[in-house]
Amino acid sequence: MQHRHLLPNEIDLLLDGDAGFGGAPLRTHVDSCADCRARLDEARVVADALERLPHFAPRTGFADRVLSHVQIVEPWHVAALGTARRFVPESRPLRALALAGVAVTSVAISASAVWIVLSANLTVGSASIVAGRVREMAIGGVQQGLAMVLGVGAAETLRASGTMAIALAGVALVAAAGLATLGFRALASASRQRGS
Amino acid sequence: MPAALDLPNLPDADVARLAQQGREPAFRELVRRYERPVFSLVFRMVRDTATAEDLAQDTFIKVLNHIDKYRPEFKFSSWLFKIANNVAIDHLRRRHLDTISMDGAPNAATAADIEATSFDIADRSESALEVMEAKELGSSIEKAIGALRPEYRACIMLRHVEGRSYEEIAATLDLPLGTVKTYIHRARHQLREALEHLRE
Repeated sequence: MQHRHLLPNEIDLLLDGDAGFGGAPLRTHVDSCADCRARLDEARVVADALERLPHFAPRTGFADRVLSHVQIVEPWHVAALGTARRFVPESRPLRALALAGVAVTSVAISASAVWIVLSANLTVGSASIVAGRVREMAIGGVQQGLAMVLGVGAAETLRASGTMAIALAGVALVAAAGLATLGFRALASASRQRGS
Repeated sequence: MPAALDLPNLPDADVARLAQQGREPAFRELVRRYERPVFSLVFRMVRDTATAEDLAQDTFIKVLNHIDKYRPEFKFSSWLFKIANNVAIDHLRRRHLDTISMDGAPNAATAADIEATSFDIADRSESALEVMEAKELGSSIEKAIGALRPEYRACIMLRHVEGRSYEEIAATLDLPLGTVKTYIHRARHQLREALEHLRE
């Protein structure tokens, strides 16, 4: 039981119907207090008058005037979908036919893609065979060169040791030839200096 | 298909989504739904029919030209009322500045010059308003609403004419919930006082 008059915010709570569980004592007080009941009634009169206020209408043609200033833009994905829809026939048999056409085209495109991929594999396979041949020829040339410089026995020993040994021997041979060339050039320039 | 859409029975969010897809009928439907609430709110804020119509038009143009920015998790009407309120408040601020700047010509040197060159928009609009109210509204409550502060007016209109909750009003007007409650309480109090003579 409330023994004091309602506060202004409590009148608002009752007016808005938002008092919740706390509303019961407020309502009990209003029932027993003529002063608070009069204040709540006054507040209700104003709230009811506000709620009866009408909506005013703008002049006729308001929507047209607004839309004449609005840029209506169709997003690209909606436009694309709309364009695609325009190609779909209205009648059922034609739609089935179009669907079959699309299916056949899709299969053809898929088959072409698979063929291109397989062709690429063939190309890669051929290239690796050619690369292998070139490698064998290079190794053969190096072996012949080594046989000429070191003799057939040494060349046979290197061949038995593997490709890596042949490559190392080839590099050593080239390095030795290079060093020998440099040595001969140094000797020749030294003899020219002594002569002059 | 678009032709089969029952636009008048779709919720706002769906109509707004169709407008985002560039469907002209959806734009028209949004205007049809809210032209009266928006015009009424703006009219009760600025108290002038022609200005209210211009401002309501500006509101819709702003909203519909930026419809791509609308997010369906928010109420379309709250977004619309927020723009309408901002447009009206901006106008009232500008008009307030105009009234001050027209308080006599800047180069008026004597009291007679000041009187001759000054005119008071507020007084003039008040007399026009009285005529308009007598003709169009003729209601004491409308006049009492006109005497409220603009921010009170927006809150009380959204609460009682549009039936919005306090939380929605706070979100719409970008105000704290407590401020909205205070504004509505004060507005009701002022309206009660303004209408007291009718009960006597």
